[in-house]
Amino acid sequence: MTTPVLQATAVHKHYRLGKREIPVLRGIDLSVAAGETVALLGASGAGKSTLLHVLGLLDPPSSGEVHYDGRRVDALPIGQRAALRHAQVGFVFQFYHLIPELTALQNVLLARMMATSVFAYWGQRKQARQKAIAMLEQVGLGDRLHHRPTELSGGERQRVAIARALLAEPKVVLADEPTGNLDSTTARGVVDLMFSIQQQRGLAFLLVTHDERLAQRCHRVVRMQDGVVVR
Amino acid sequence: MYRLFLAIRYLVTRPINLLGMAGITISVWALVVVVSLFTGFINVIEHHVHQASADLVVVNLPPWANSRKLVAALEADPQVAGVTTRLLHHGLLLRPGHRPPPTPLPGRSALHGGDQPFLFVQGIDPRSEAKVTGFDDWLIHADIPKELRAMDQALLPRDGLPTVLVGLQRLTREGLRVGDRLVLTTARIETDPQGRRSPRKVQFDLVVGGAFKTAHSGFDGNTVFVAADTLRQNLFPDTPDAVQEVALRVHDQQQLEATAGRLQRTVNRVLERDQYAWASVLTWREKNSGFLESVQHQRALMQVVLVVIMVVAAFLMLATLSMMVTEKVSDIGILCAMGGTPLGVTTVFLACGLVITACGIVAGTLLGIVTGIYLEEVRQALRWTTGIDLFPIDVYNLERVPSAIDPMWLLQVAGMAMATGLLVSVLPAWRASRHDPLVSLRAG
Ligand SMILES: Nc1ncnc2c1ncn2[C@@H]1O[C@H](COP(=O)(O)OP(=O)(O)OP(=O)(O)O)[C@@H](O)[C@H]1O
Ligand SMILES: [Mg+2]
Repeated sequence: MTTPVLQATAVHKHYRLGKREIPVLRGIDLSVAAGETVALLGASGAGKSTLLHVLGLLDPPSSGEVHYDGRRVDALPIGQRAALRHAQVGFVFQFYHLIPELTALQNVLLARMMATSVFAYWGQRKQARQKAIAMLEQVGLGDRLHHRPTELSGGERQRVAIARALLAEPKVVLADEPTGNLDSTTARGVVDLMFSIQQQRGLAFLLVTHDERLAQRCHRVVRMQDGVVVR
Repeated sequence: MYRLFLAIRYLVTRPINLLGMAGITISVWALVVVVSLFTGFINVIEHHVHQASADLVVVNLPPWANSRKLVAALEADPQVAGVTTRLLHHGLLLRPGHRPPPTPLPGRSALHGGDQPFLFVQGIDPRSEAKVTGFDDWLIHADIPKELRAMDQALLPRDGLPTVLVGLQRLTREGLRVGDRLVLTTARIETDPQGRRSPRKVQFDLVVGGAFKTAHSGFDGNTVFVAADTLRQNLFPDTPDAVQEVALRVHDQQQLEATAGRLQRTVNRVLERDQYAWASVLTWREKNSGFLESVQHQRALMQVVLVVIMVVAAFLMLATLSMMVTEKVSDIGILCAMGGTPLGVTTVFLACGLVITACGIVAGTLLGIVTGIYLEEVRQALRWTTGIDLFPIDVYNLERVPSAIDPMWLLQVAGMAMATGLLVSVLPAWRASRHDPLVSLRAG
């Protein structure tokens, strides 16, 4: 068997509220292979978002380990974790989190700017722009390049967010209820798009959702309850 | 890269930030313009004061000073180009039968152009005086009309009376003409046989010999020249050698201080008595230090006031930046998710502050330089439109409002503005850095 792109072993996470410790994740084991799609289901408050943040190195686990391609990454210094997050992981959120001051194109381009210096970026700005435009065309927004997020519909905003997550060509996409804010028709369109890109690029895909039908389209369904994987 | 890009986008989409920038611009502009004006003013004032003074003067000569010996010793110095002796006195110079005018308002001293009725009477030897100061040029200044010019032999008696040279402005203001009679009222100290010293009134007649004009109107308005002999006969009848001040011209202005030090030792040697040193050598700058320092003091005060204004402008910037940070902390989460570190993302807000400050400094400095160069035109435009005169250039014998832009000062202003800008940017950025990026990712 090949090494999984993403692996969590015995991940615990608790938050501290004053003197009390609130356990949120209580020993999670999970691995996602390249090209695999996994749906993460569970009641509200089960700890799904928290797990996603831990897997995406946004939040360090209280104990346990996170491995990318078999390499332990959760204990790396903060700068290296940020660089890995940039290179390996694409995030998509329920509330899009686009930056309202920027156009669709600039929002996508920002993903490229994150890791380059002013001078390095200046050298590659044309190339970066072309790639961002190609990315937006792929998600069907070729004619919305210069629209601000407020001038876009919810579905269009989520497509911009997907384009942004994929610009740096990550190996893993972590999506936290990407369709939670969309009506079912728009949601289906967005999901179809994500699955087609996933197949095309052979991405590992971890999808948090409350939608059983959507979950069934994935290779594997993982259910969580009170911080543990139940099945 | 993303920091600069985001910072600029954040700022461009929030015109309110122009307020902070305008504040910085205005304060930098004011600091540049006002200080350039003062520096230029100090430069010309120094120039004018120097033109109306001898390079060096020996003052506080003791009564036993042997002027011949002293002058000979001073002339022997290789740096000395000319030496002259003077007698100094004060007095009221009035037309016969006139009373003195009321004294001017307090606060406007003689040195600042307010002419006092009480005058400095300088008893000079015109020939050697001309070798030490610009005395000859003062008599033929272009502003002096022909009928007020002194004869070639200035200070020679006229109609059997000693002559007096009066500053042009004072002369015309009082409507005096050449040949008019004046009475000098003053006093001298007398010692009676018991050794008691008491003042005695001295009055003698003078005749107006002509006008003089130097570049320093404060000097002209309060000084009159008479021949040294005139004062000597009336005030020191028993001491034919009496001298109160020795004025010198030097060859090299660059070595003025060194020369002054050396001459001080010469003077000490010549005038030494009972192992005490007498008399001191002053440079023209030291002699006029009261006046020159008062202008410098005004400049320093203005600097303080304007720096305070800059701090106030920085508070404006702090307010707009804080508003922006409150609004934009929600972006920190997604920027972290895209591969930024929380600290790195926080510097976006720092960059905002620095971009505002930098733009403000550049705009303010450029505006300040342009205003400094065209200050005279600005003054005229203002006077023409509002009637307000920013700067009374004729009081100081100037053609234009003075202005000298000092690159060092520009750097200092930029540095100060940058420091305050940085300080007020750090605060909101620090607040942003304490925001948990995950909070905004969980919520919408
Ligand atoms: N910073 C925090 N401090 C304390 N408790 C927290 C913090 N963040 C999250 N929690 C708690 O962790 C638990 C799991 O939260 P999480 O957001 O992971 O749930 P979820 O499964 O994503 O729920 P939902 O389906 O509603 O999004 C919740 O009970 C929440 O109150
Ligand atoms: Mg959640």
